[in-house]
Amino acid sequence: MTVEQTLTVLVIDDEPHIVRAVRNALSGDFGRVLEAGTAVDGVDQAAARRPDAVVLDLALPDRSGLWVLTELRKWSTVPVIVLSARHGEAEKVRLLDAGADDYVTKPFSPTELLARVRAQVRRARQAEMPGGEGMLQIGDLVIDTAARTVRRGGADVHLTPTEWELLRTFLRHMGKTLTHWQLFRSVWAASAGDPQAYLRVYVAHLRRKLEPDPVRPRLIITEPGVGYRFEAPG
Amino acid sequence: MPLWRRLLMWSLLAGALTLVLELARPSLDKAHMALAYLVLILLASARSGRMLGVILSVLCFLAFNFFLLPPFHTFHVAEPMDWGVLLSFLLTGGVAAELLHRQRRAAALADRRTREINRLAALGAESLSVARAAEAVKAIERVIRTESPVREARIRLLPEGRLQAGESDVPETGSPEQLEAYAVRERRFVTRGVDGTAHIEGRGALLTDVLRRLADSAEVLVPLSVGDRCLGVLRLTDPEGLRFDAPQASFAHALVYYAALAAERVRLEGEAERVEALREADRLKDALLASVSHDLRTPLTSIRATATELRSEGDERGALIEEEAERLNRLVTDLLELSRLRAGALPVSLDINAAEDLIGAALQRVGGLPGASDVRVRLPEDGALALGRFDFVHSLRSLTNLLENALSHSRIAGSVEIEVRSESGQLVIDVLDRGPGIPAGDVARLFEPFFRTTSTTPTTGTGLGLAIARQIAEAQGGSVTYRPRPGGGSVFRLSLPGGITESTP
Repeated sequence: MTVEQTLTVLVIDDEPHIVRAVRNALSGDFGRVLEAGTAVDGVDQAAARRPDAVVLDLALPDRSGLWVLTELRKWSTVPVIVLSARHGEAEKVRLLDAGADDYVTKPFSPTELLARVRAQVRRARQAEMPGGEGMLQIGDLVIDTAARTVRRGGADVHLTPTEWELLRTFLRHMGKTLTHWQLFRSVWAASAGDPQAYLRVYVAHLRRKLEPDPVRPRLIITEPGVGYRFEAPG
Repeated sequence: MPLWRRLLMWSLLAGALTLVLELARPSLDKAHMALAYLVLILLASARSGRMLGVILSVLCFLAFNFFLLPPFHTFHVAEPMDWGVLLSFLLTGGVAAELLHRQRRAAALADRRTREINRLAALGAESLSVARAAEAVKAIERVIRTESPVREARIRLLPEGRLQAGESDVPETGSPEQLEAYAVRERRFVTRGVDGTAHIEGRGALLTDVLRRLADSAEVLVPLSVGDRCLGVLRLTDPEGLRFDAPQASFAHALVYYAALAAERVRLEGEAERVEALREADRLKDALLASVSHDLRTPLTSIRATATELRSEGDERGALIEEEAERLNRLVTDLLELSRLRAGALPVSLDINAAEDLIGAALQRVGGLPGASDVRVRLPEDGALALGRFDFVHSLRSLTNLLENALSHSRIAGSVEIEVRSESGQLVIDVLDRGPGIPAGDVARLFEPFFRTTSTTPTTGTGLGLAIARQIAEAQGGSVTYRPRPGGGSVFRLSLPGGITESTP
């Protein structure tokens, strides 16, 4: 019995077929799958039942999915995975900026959805645990956040202050997709002089220093048009 | 009141004054009497004009002499000094009458100016405040009609470019429409005489001058221009001849500016309406694409989920359904993309991006295809970071399509390569394969939607990949081109704007 089997997930969606697909995908791993057919019911159930994750469809009969997200974020940090039929990147950015943790576009494969929900639940549970500063080993990469050092294959890797700040932001939100804007705000919060346009260039530099093959990244994953995600190891 | 009656009235007053002065003569000095007469003359000049003032001066001069200067009741003057008094009296009266006259004329002129300015101000406010620009045009026509010596004033607005065709080379004999067309095209005034012959004013003629020598013309056409745009024509008509004096001409000149501005407002209003309509159409198009996208993808999701369920229960047909659902999904995505491109509804956001970021994302997208992990990537040899200024998502779509195409046609493992460099301001990404290549006869049609070369196996792809790749690249100022690869196969080149390299710090 995995940890997830004691957990509850809430599906907010009005299409019976999709609800069924989501239920089938998740019921093997999650102890309970709750269902809400409207936005208002979804928010009510989230408040009453305190689920460990929410799968939210953007197209709802009464209010928009974005409204649900905004309502939830007023009092809850529950992981929210959004289902969207539109493939517009602007929409994904809007969702992430509004507090969504991840999104899955239709048609999704059940395996993919399950993996995404699990990753977010795991991330949320890790975030609740204290700590965060310390040694992190990913393959031949050793990151010491306290000493601010990075070693790859035993050799020191020199990071510029901006690159270091970028890496720290990634580590703080490991496994979560961060939008360009969120990254920029976090890294350049102190100094306003550096143009946002160069964020992508800094990511490319950081990748070259951390990844064995910069065109086949394993750590810093590009979410096209949205932002970047630092993959959690293992 | 006619002049003679006013003259009679003032003469009676002068007689009465003379009577009073004669009675009081023993106690009065000559200067007092002259002053009393002068007051009367000034009053008369002020009220009834210069002519009356002068006549009254002479009458008073005679009465003064006859009744009040010794010897009395003769025109004979005893003292030579009295002649001086009489003559300076006459002169003062005349000069005063003349000065008053000038003053009155200046006042009248100022009054007329004030009325014109008020009219123009009111017109400006009116034409700005009316709800519809067409009403402003009507208001200006009305004002020109009432404030100018014309029988009729008509403004004709031209839908842009309508009268631009050069069909009237001999405007002297042209129809009214041809004359209007000519006036607009050449930006020249056209007049038509009372006898019907047309006359073209010289280029650069001033409207005020033209209006002042119109006496023999029954009609004048004034082109209405704002900036370098001619928006219409003002037609002033009076069959008996147009007679403008100088102030009327300059007032008309000012009104023509207003007419042009009103015409410009009509044009801008039309433009704003068109833009609004376009925006609305755009919104509808977006809404339609979104709802089609939703309606097609939702059933695909349940098909796919059911297929996964079947497969997990050990039914191998589930895998086939999954595969086909995925193919259908790709087709839906491609069709939506293509219709978005066709509709011109593709927003482009240009950012500075690194080529290897783009290639990495593309390799991730094609990760499931056989051979994807063997694709060799050749970055610039000096280790510099190749950058471009392009839309990441669109370019990714382009590059992914080219890679899919290369991978699906390549027969030799590890023969697909990507080569990156900056070349004359462009970021150039070549995708090379060792497939069958493109038959020479097919190259021209290679980028057409649904085109398949004779060498393609019929099951691969949707037939839209290359068309989309090229259109997306072009939408952001780039291109996709084909050339045969030496030694067999194809090279597809994606060029993106803003190619620069940055050396690694």
